[in-house]
Amino acid sequence: MDGQTRLGMLHRLLVLFWPPPQTESVILSPLSFSIYRGHKIQHSDWHKEPLRIMDPECSRLLPALCAVLADPRQPVADDTCLEKLLDWFKKVTEAESSLLLLQENPCLVELLSHVLRPQDVSPRVLSFSLRLAGTFAAQEDCFQYLQQGDLLLGLFGEAGTLGWAAWNVPTVRSGWIQGLSSLAQHPSALHFLADSGAVDTVFSLQGDPSLFVASAASQLLVHILALSMHGEAVEHHSPQGSAWPTCAQKIVGHVEESLRSTAAPQVTQALNVLTTTFGRCHSPWTEVLWEQLSPLVACLLERDPIPAGHSLVDLLLSVARSPVFSSADCGLWETVAQTLSRLSPTQAGPLALGTLKLQHCPQALRTQAFGILLQPLACVLKATTQAPTSPGLLDGTLGGSMTVDALLSSKSACAGLLCQTLAQLEELHPLPHRPSPWPQASLLEAVVTILQLCDGSAAPGSSVGGRLCGTLAGCVRVQRAALDFLGTLSQGTSPQELVPQVFAVLLEYLESPDSSPTVLKKAFQATLGWLLSSPKTPGCSDFGPHIPLFLGELFPVLQKRLCSPCWEVRDSALEFFTNLSRHWGGQADFRQALFSSEAPTLTQQLLRDPESYVRASAVTAMAQLSSQGLHATLASPEHPEAEQGLLREFLNILSADSEGFPRRAVVQVFTQWLRDGHAEVARDTEQFVATVLQVVSQDLDWEVRVQGLELAQVFLTQKLGQPGHCPYTVALPEAPLPRLRPEVLRTLCQPWLLEFAFRALFDCDRPVAQKACNLLLFLRDKTAPYAGTQETGDSPHLDSMEAALQRWQAGEQGQPLGDPEPEAMLAVLRSLDLEGLQGRLAESSDHVEKSPQSLLQDMLATVDILEENEADCY
Amino acid sequence: MPEIRVTPLGAGQDVGRSCILVSIAGKNVMLDCGMHMGFNDDRRFPDFSYITQNGRLTDFLDCVIISHFHLDHCGALPYFSEMVGYDGPIYMTHPTQAICPILLEDYRKIAVDKKGEANFFTSQMIKDCMKKVVAVHLHQTVQVDDELEIKAYYAGHVLGAAMFQIKVGSESVVYTGDYNMTPDRHLGAAWIDKCRPNLLITESTYATTIRDSKRCRERDFLKKVHETVERGGKVLIPVFALGRAQELCILLETFWERMNLKVPIYFSTGLTEKANHYYKLFITWTNQKIRKTFVQRNMFEFKHIKAFDRAFADNPGPMVVFATPGMLHAGQSLQIFRKWAGNEKNMVIMPGYCVQGTVGHKILSGQRKLEMEGRQVLEVKMQVEYMSFSAHADAKGIMQLVGQAEPERVLLVHGEAKKMEFLRQKIEQEFRVSCYMPANGETVTLPTSPSIPVGISLGLLKREMAQGLLPEAKKPRLLHGTLVMKDSSFRLVSSEQALKELGLAEHQLRFTCRVHLQDTRKEQETALRVYSHLKSTLKDHCVQHLPDGSVTVESILIQAAAHSEDPGTKVLLVSWTYQDEELGSFLTALLKKGLPQAPS
Repeated sequence: MDGQTRLGMLHRLLVLFWPPPQTESVILSPLSFSIYRGHKIQHSDWHKEPLRIMDPECSRLLPALCAVLADPRQPVADDTCLEKLLDWFKKVTEAESSLLLLQENPCLVELLSHVLRPQDVSPRVLSFSLRLAGTFAAQEDCFQYLQQGDLLLGLFGEAGTLGWAAWNVPTVRSGWIQGLSSLAQHPSALHFLADSGAVDTVFSLQGDPSLFVASAASQLLVHILALSMHGEAVEHHSPQGSAWPTCAQKIVGHVEESLRSTAAPQVTQALNVLTTTFGRCHSPWTEVLWEQLSPLVACLLERDPIPAGHSLVDLLLSVARSPVFSSADCGLWETVAQTLSRLSPTQAGPLALGTLKLQHCPQALRTQAFGILLQPLACVLKATTQAPTSPGLLDGTLGGSMTVDALLSSKSACAGLLCQTLAQLEELHPLPHRPSPWPQASLLEAVVTILQLCDGSAAPGSSVGGRLCGTLAGCVRVQRAALDFLGTLSQGTSPQELVPQVFAVLLEYLESPDSSPTVLKKAFQATLGWLLSSPKTPGCSDFGPHIPLFLGELFPVLQKRLCSPCWEVRDSALEFFTNLSRHWGGQADFRQALFSSEAPTLTQQLLRDPESYVRASAVTAMAQLSSQGLHATLASPEHPEAEQGLLREFLNILSADSEGFPRRAVVQVFTQWLRDGHAEVARDTEQFVATVLQVVSQDLDWEVRVQGLELAQVFLTQKLGQPGHCPYTVALPEAPLPRLRPEVLRTLCQPWLLEFAFRALFDCDRPVAQKACNLLLFLRDKTAPYAGTQETGDSPHLDSMEAALQRWQAGEQGQPLGDPEPEAMLAVLRSLDLEGLQGRLAESSDHVEKSPQSLLQDMLATVDILEENEADCY
Repeated sequence: MPEIRVTPLGAGQDVGRSCILVSIAGKNVMLDCGMHMGFNDDRRFPDFSYITQNGRLTDFLDCVIISHFHLDHCGALPYFSEMVGYDGPIYMTHPTQAICPILLEDYRKIAVDKKGEANFFTSQMIKDCMKKVVAVHLHQTVQVDDELEIKAYYAGHVLGAAMFQIKVGSESVVYTGDYNMTPDRHLGAAWIDKCRPNLLITESTYATTIRDSKRCRERDFLKKVHETVERGGKVLIPVFALGRAQELCILLETFWERMNLKVPIYFSTGLTEKANHYYKLFITWTNQKIRKTFVQRNMFEFKHIKAFDRAFADNPGPMVVFATPGMLHAGQSLQIFRKWAGNEKNMVIMPGYCVQGTVGHKILSGQRKLEMEGRQVLEVKMQVEYMSFSAHADAKGIMQLVGQAEPERVLLVHGEAKKMEFLRQKIEQEFRVSCYMPANGETVTLPTSPSIPVGISLGLLKREMAQGLLPEAKKPRLLHGTLVMKDSSFRLVSSEQALKELGLAEHQLRFTCRVHLQDTRKEQETALRVYSHLKSTLKDHCVQHLPDGSVTVESILIQAAAHSEDPGTKVLLVSWTYQDEELGSFLTALLKKGLPQAPS
């Protein structure tokens, strides 16, 4: 048998290359794809053909499905099915004519007509039908078609669904609104909405007991308003009056009426509609609308208490953000200023933050807004500072007795206001146009004070401070928010004299036995931020005076936390240690502090932690120490072969750890070591890669296998990137292609490497097969110019490869590949249609299950057996 | 008016994914944060935009409570905490905290593996989310903050499942999560004390069902497995890594031991070890039998069940394989299914629910020709069996729990609307309490009357006792006193004591009224006539004619005077204290009618 014939056999063998072969139960349909290279009709090509979304098979199944839906005795299987069915119809109607669809599938209109008989329909099917009708009617010709039979009026008109008992079911009301939202796309729809009385119903649904319905009703009103104003030429300052379309007038009239209402829910509804309107519509008419409605909005501020404060804030910000108002002076800033001064500190906070985020906003307003955000912190400082010598946050203009009262009224109010303020300032801090000057020092002082109040270390100088101390003591919520903000403040220039205070409070938290795991995590994060942002001494590579001192105190705390009984704490401590080592591994002060501590030894011990998350973090930490030469501390006279020991330990984890996280961490570390040329790896790279891949190939976790393939990819890249194989030479067609050096070729085609990749190609987990396919493609492309000239001879290696592939394909472990010639390997590689395979693997593995046919079949198949299984869940 | 508000974002008239918002005495709590396995897009998660509208999530929500580790109760948690941005505390029991990340990780891997989803939470996110968890013990009262406290009760259902009582002051809500009122092979029955919450939120999966004994289902399962292996077939049992798998493992292990069977049983993936580790670790959460036998033999150390290797699937002869995932939608269970589907001697047993689109769902709905990738058709000849082992309380169990907890009101979640309606009526009839069943997005608002504890002074109590009426425990009794509110404490004392304590002087309050009478006689005679009239009318009262000519009835004083302008009219000046307000009004009304004609 010659080489060609053998390859032909191999091709046939690989016909069922992906997915893994089936037993006798698989019947190949004529369209089944081929792995042969050169075959033009491949599955991937078939998939790319322009197809009508509504294919004949679905058309064939539709009548039966519609009959099932129309039959009240047949409950619908799964609540997701109708949703998915609707998704599919939306997709179909986006690509094709709805009218054509209805004409070709009359069963759909029959279904819609059927649901007009209320007694015969379940609420779920009714809701679905309303949405479906809306989807079809979004196209004007189809709308007219459905209107001919008064179908739409029947479904959406007052005489239709609204009068039925099913209207009490929220799903039906929701379906009604969504149906109308879909169909409101063209002028005919507007007429329909006006004539059918639907808009009035939408008004009433704004107050629906269902959040979903109420919210959808508001959205729909905005949608209708925008649609009716679409294309309307509005004079810049013309009043709304009778010039606006009737529908728009009606909606605006309703909003005005609601704004005048004394009932807070109605005011909220109106404000929500307006917020969405100004958020979505940026045409000139919105300016006219605001001019007309802003007096009513301003009137709300005169009421006591101000109704719907939260919604009012949203509206003002929505208007302020609208590009339509960017240049015009429309009294907006005045209203915002008034609102800021009238609302309670908690309610005004979001408005203040939103205002400060705006690009164009009067300076006076920015000052006012910033003052609101600073006020609670200023109160804290005022209450706790014995002699207010520092400039303070508000330059002595602290007028907010209300804030102090609010702050101290109750523990939860105090915590709430402080948390909100701290989070808002944290959000503001990194913005380029944050208020200037930014009171970094005072903010720092305030947040340190808050943290001290929370852990009881503050010594308040006044009775108010004492009360604050009692209120905040042990408040984890405020601790978390303050630590977050403190961490953010590290990204700024702080006065050097305050830095020791910051480190002191952080150390208090890291040391305190009362700190909860979440607080400790945040304390570690903030500490890292402050350490990494600490300025270095000019002209010297080492740190300023604070850091060495701090590190001396930090390491004992870190050691303690590495031994914590809480895995969360051990893990956070390891993450912190890893990050610190990554950035500071080369710094003498850090190394000194580290060498004189037990942290590396403890980290190594955590490689055997009972918690897998911790083991994984310990792997990363140890790898980091090793890469920075910090692991050498263990290579003391007692541990002369610490480095080698670490490699062995990692290999042991990779082969023996019962959980995926540590194993994944090890492979990631190995890949990084290979990239960086770590000493342990560089000693014998091939041996290293071979050993790792051998272990990885047995792993049950597909992510470990994928990472193994990544390691292999790095190895191949390094080999092919060796001198003499400049990638640019490929781009020069004139240049003769240099042949791959035999030893390199042999290295690339190592049986252990290719065996690993080929086996992975058959993996039942798609990402593994995908990665293997990419790897083999890379290898094939890189070796093609060099090795393609020589035909494979009649070789016994091909026999063994054929047999091995057959076994792997069948999902068996089988015998190893043996030691075939590199040429034979490359010949197999070239014969595969890896591109086709890549295309197929790129699809999700459930693409068949997700297909509309599958959905329709499932829905039909479930009909008779539903009663049996319906009640079950987990 | 204080109120409790409940809004389901999920599990309102459905069993898709649980996520219920409860607002109690100004505190906002999220109960469960589940994922719907039937969707592949964002619809799988509850729509959190309805909460984010209220400002920052961490400011709005006081805590999240997870009842148990099933993904329809905890699957959206990493998304919620790491992607939507909730940074507050999350409470769950210790076993749930241990097992939850395994299942989340398992699902993440399937989502990424199967669908190549990029916008899904990562391993790191799961870890970071789990770090926010505060684990609680059963019956331990945990203070979330100064006002809000929670307490967990045993719920059965799965290892670590708990019901939670949420309490602020005197107001409380109990959320059951999923529970089971009958013990099964490895877990006990749910239990709660008579905590009389304002509201009980209970699952209602089997609202209309009276479930047959689980023993029958177990026997049936064992029979089917046994028959298949006896005739040389292979049995595939697709399971999720934890939960049902352990239950079935115990079942088969015991049966194999008893019958001395040699057919191999395998469990795929390395998850068994960890799962069993947790069952060993949390042995106190299992039922009494397992805990008892633990001394001699750990039920979770299986002799007959071995780790599965991919190559074993091709071995000849019978075997039983537990493989993940449970719905045959990816990975090893699907791969084994494809190998074995063509042989009618083999059997697949689906021990749980499968969502639409999965191969599990297709074969359960009777489809026997499955289209696979590349338009290949897989013909299913193997036997397909469905056995529900889900452990929920049935209608009887739900009623039993309501009876145990004695709530003021009941709210049903996690069930189908029709069945809920039936149970709602039953609960209202039997327990005479209101029962609600809101749909997703619907808010139920329940007014509450918070009870404020008030101390009573011994003196006042003694005075009441002195009147001879002994207090009865269950009978409300009227007691007059003065409520003193001082330093945020409330005390009921006698008015004298209150005056003394507060240093106040007593004020006398008298009502006065003038009544005009047509009478030409002298004032003294008119007064005498009034006296005679009242004496004869008010026989039970002490009516006196004083020497100064005025008349008294108890504290009521009546004086007669001449009219300044009309000598034929006399003016009666009536005055009385507030204690005799009733009598005063009566007298004035009586006198206004005039005096009886005197004999001339």
